[in-house]
Amino acid sequence: MRNILLILALFAFFATENTFAQGKYFTRDGHVSFFSAAPMENIEAENHKATSVIDTETGRMEFAILIKAFEFEKALMQEHFNENYMESNQYPKATFKGDIQNASDVDWTTDGTYDVTVSGDMTIHGVTKNITTEGTIIVENGAISAKSKFKVAVADYDIEIPTVVVDNIAKEIEVTVDMKYQRLEK
Amino acid sequence: MKKYIKYILLLAVIGISSAYYMYNKPHKNIQKAKADFTLNATDLFTEYEADEETANAKYLDKVVEVEGKIQSIKTEDNGQTSIVLDSGSMMFGVNCQLDTTKVETVNRYKEGDNIKLKGVCTGMLMDVVLVRCVPIES
Repeated sequence: MRNILLILALFAFFATENTFAQGKYFTRDGHVSFFSAAPMENIEAENHKATSVIDTETGRMEFAILIKAFEFEKALMQEHFNENYMESNQYPKATFKGDIQNASDVDWTTDGTYDVTVSGDMTIHGVTKNITTEGTIIVENGAISAKSKFKVAVADYDIEIPTVVVDNIAKEIEVTVDMKYQRLEK
Repeated sequence: MKKYIKYILLLAVIGISSAYYMYNKPHKNIQKAKADFTLNATDLFTEYEADEETANAKYLDKVVEVEGKIQSIKTEDNGQTSIVLDSGSMMFGVNCQLDTTKVETVNRYKEGDNIKLKGVCTGMLMDVVLVRCVPIES
């Protein structure tokens, strides 16, 4: 009898342990960078203040970044980026809201690297587009991180590049996303 | 004709060097910049929470000096360091990303301490975000 109780207690313990790993994870210090390769010059900028929430139960992912938090090597580039191209006073944020298409392939409780396909709505410069991209989810010692690299076509988001600088800015910008999530305390 | 050539050359030199200077224009020196607004972290957060659009019109791109209690200090693997100031909200606050040259200052502070920081306001996600922050020490 005592053994059964012990087994039941252990079972209950592991059961709660398992459910504990399910739920919402978030970060407010996510890293998003972009790289533009063009004949005249390469441009890159980094943003260390991306916020993101991931719901392991539903496979839902949301990201938001502040355009003005992108930092460039050159002040002039940063100024042009904000004022001429992204119009960040009018559109201060870029967001992505989507779902992991193959969420059932990810075992959130077991260490490993999982390839995922995410699709959803990306909003940049006030324009919303449905996109699908590949990424990886890494589970390590109960911590969750997510990585992705994809291309964004400048013209898709109504960002106009004057012909004078057409050789300075790539038509497709490579975006790199690197998030380390923390469990959201209830 | 000959005497004009040196003036034309001089103009060209001035033109090229000022273009070069513009291209390499330095970032605003936050340490030296005068704060456009000085307020405490709670008030800044409350203003944003009440009306994000109005707050954006007022604070975006401005140098803001905030004072508040340190809710958390976090250093990422890549060396980026942030201090989150208490805003009276349960989870979110004023998230100040330190200027990369000022990262060592965090060693002098701990959670619960009061701190004054000056940085550029970039808007609100869940936290109100200030970047390139420098501590103000008297």
